[in-house]
Amino acid sequence: MDDKTIGNGSEEVRIGFFICHCGSNIAGTIDVEAVADYVRTLPNVVVSSDYKYTCSVAGQDMIVEDILKYKLNRVVVAACSPLLHEKTFRAATQRGGINPFFFHMVNIREHGSWVHQDRALATQKAMDMARGAIARVKFHKALEKRREPVRQSVLVVGGGIAGIHAALTMANAGKKVYLVEREPTIGGHMAMFDKTFPTLDCAACILTPKMSEVGSHPNIVLWSYSEVTEIKGYVGNYDVTVKRKPRYIKEDLCVGCLDCIDHCVFKTGNTDDEFNQNLSKRKPVYIPFAQAVPRLVAIDPAACTHLNGGKCEQSCATACDRQAIDFEQKETFEHIGVGAVIVATGFKPFDAHRKPLYGYGRFPDVYTALEVERLVCSSGPTGGDVVLKDGSKPKSVGIIHCVGSRDHQTNRWCSRVCCMYSLKLAHLLKEHTDAEIYNFYIDIRTPGKGYEEFYERLQEEGNHFIRGRVGDITDVPIIPEEEGRMIVRVEDSLAGFVRRIPVDMVVLATGLEPREDASEIRRRFNISCSSEGFFLERHPKLAPVSTTTDGVFLAGCCQGPKDIPDTVAQAGAAAAESLVLLDVGYVEMEPMTAFVTEKYCSGCKTCLPLCPFSAISRDEEKGVAVINPVLCKGCGTCVAACPSGAITQNLFEDRQIFAEIEELLVHA
Amino acid sequence: MSSIQRQIRFESDRDPGFADEIRAMPGCELIDRCIQCATCSGVCPVSTYMELTPRRIIELTRNGFKQDVLNANTIWICTSCYECQVECPKEIGITDVMYALKTKAIQAGVEPKHLGPPVLFKEFYNMVRKTGRMSETQLAVRSFIKSNPMQMWGMKWLGLRLLKTGRFSVKLEHMPKPSVLHTALDHADRIDGRRAK
Repeated sequence: MDDKTIGNGSEEVRIGFFICHCGSNIAGTIDVEAVADYVRTLPNVVVSSDYKYTCSVAGQDMIVEDILKYKLNRVVVAACSPLLHEKTFRAATQRGGINPFFFHMVNIREHGSWVHQDRALATQKAMDMARGAIARVKFHKALEKRREPVRQSVLVVGGGIAGIHAALTMANAGKKVYLVEREPTIGGHMAMFDKTFPTLDCAACILTPKMSEVGSHPNIVLWSYSEVTEIKGYVGNYDVTVKRKPRYIKEDLCVGCLDCIDHCVFKTGNTDDEFNQNLSKRKPVYIPFAQAVPRLVAIDPAACTHLNGGKCEQSCATACDRQAIDFEQKETFEHIGVGAVIVATGFKPFDAHRKPLYGYGRFPDVYTALEVERLVCSSGPTGGDVVLKDGSKPKSVGIIHCVGSRDHQTNRWCSRVCCMYSLKLAHLLKEHTDAEIYNFYIDIRTPGKGYEEFYERLQEEGNHFIRGRVGDITDVPIIPEEEGRMIVRVEDSLAGFVRRIPVDMVVLATGLEPREDASEIRRRFNISCSSEGFFLERHPKLAPVSTTTDGVFLAGCCQGPKDIPDTVAQAGAAAAESLVLLDVGYVEMEPMTAFVTEKYCSGCKTCLPLCPFSAISRDEEKGVAVINPVLCKGCGTCVAACPSGAITQNLFEDRQIFAEIEELLVHA
Repeated sequence: MSSIQRQIRFESDRDPGFADEIRAMPGCELIDRCIQCATCSGVCPVSTYMELTPRRIIELTRNGFKQDVLNANTIWICTSCYECQVECPKEIGITDVMYALKTKAIQAGVEPKHLGPPVLFKEFYNMVRKTGRMSETQLAVRSFIKSNPMQMWGMKWLGLRLLKTGRFSVKLEHMPKPSVLHTALDHADRIDGRRAK
């Protein structure tokens, strides 16, 4: 059958109408048999029937059989939202031998039965909507989907454990991967941890092998100290610009011998070491930590005397026998083309200063959890000795859970990892100091494999668990034993009274929140975010790593707080989704794009600046607008704006829309 | 309310050694596992009358709040039905903890001197220790005399009927050679005494 001609010429229009009960979802409110009977009386309708679940295989087969049996050339289904099943029914229509765009869907569930209670009125509305669709579908045309090839490479943004795992998965599958990391090294927050819960695996031991694999993988181009500044294009064909910040080191010459660091004019550190959470100092020429990947030094322009215009003998440069230090280095820009993008930009720990009642910044021995991770780590600022600011070991430690989380004043959400990392830190602190450990919690949340068992282990190790959100940390004693110590004031809500507990050290289990520039990143990649600022997945259950922009996927804590196992699982899923895109090799573009009828176009350029996708250009020779169907998303802005009515949009042609409206309003 | 008293607890109100003593007693090893789900208090048929629910007893015990625990009526209201222990999701010996606390209370001399259950327990122990046998009538009469003598009057007809049908006798029974038992129990007491230190 030549489906190009059907309905476009003089052939008789033969419409099949199918209405779905959706169990009781629709039939419970709408009299579907009555609608079917009514539609059967409309002009051009050859067959009209109802079915319990039209989306089922049997329901689809019914459509296919009726197309053949009644020689249908139009199909209308009244059921749920086209978002759910338009694809299903278009495919069934095609199986029946006609072009899938001769199908039209009427949403009588979300727009009907689910939002109305009056059965008679809802049924009448369904009849009106069906009548509109029957009138519209007559004017449908055969349309073809366009295919565009997909570039066989992927951009991974962020080099934490999510980005690392996604990059390795893609690279191992043979795809070219560009991994862009803002900091001088990959590794992210996980590289700062000492141990991981609940198995107490050493974080570095399990992370650094993956890091070095990234550094040496032939399919991975690793750009650290770099940022994505621009991304253009569409699914399968993104053009990306990456800014490479100057690290004042020639990457191809530096071998990571670290001689320059030894020879820096500063004999000890002169600036806060951010990797150690500012608990120690580092030099202006530095490597973030011993196993950094790439193993390249960087010079911090804010701390370096020479780069600040000061007088310096530049002993670092003379110490380097490979002449790798280059103070003249400027930022450069790389331009790449990729088929897919995986955004894995991570999180920011909650700033404990925002909860002043816990005394962070006021009492010297109030720490954040990440600071304590560095303190207990043998490669940390104290070599693994947990000592207070005065050099003594704490005899009693209070760990305050939910700092910044579950709190309408700060962040409403549960940060999901704090209970478990608090338990881990409780274990490590007890191991390092043999102190009394008090956990102050609201609820202990341990949903994960081996997590509840870990909690039980901690309980049996003799840690105190006090259910109550700490009300105050004070240094004002009211009995002698409290003198010179911090006193935690809390209602022990299980015991039923208020307690005052003197401690030497307080650990704040700070929550996770979106990065400060998350909304900038969001705009750059054209993805959405939820009200709290985490990037939004396309569907919370069924499309957890996709975004509303095709070809852009999410992994890790940029999408919401999660622990390492979940992050790795999500990164694997994002890689798998990207692989599907790349391995299929082409993308199908929906044909509901706009096009210009040249003889009506006056070349006024009204449409050009309005297009949000920069899909319209002007043919200077002919003096008319031209729409690139690959870039056009079918938003309809230009159609509405064109003063001469020269732009038409497929599936939304005036005669289709007006026919539908006219019929809808007949009884109004 | 007669006077305003301090309700807040300091760390010095805790006696961690007390918690350790309880943990060391048979059946009480797992109290740190408790997740305070309160199933025990929910299933307990007599929690209606308890000053502190079994859940709070466990919480206070493991934290070493000795005075709160030993002075609560809970441990004496407990009928040892073991429902809490059967239902506990963490398999904690809650009833065993109750027994351990009763023992501690009596050792500390803080048990209520005229409340039925502790009087009964002591009379029971004294009788069995002395004679090696339990004579129900004697036990009931002695317990009532020391706790609530007036209650006996109300139960006189029940007592007479039981006596008539031969369900109990007024005789005080003895085992043939109580000295054998005394040797064993004295030895056990010495062990207990050592453990208490």
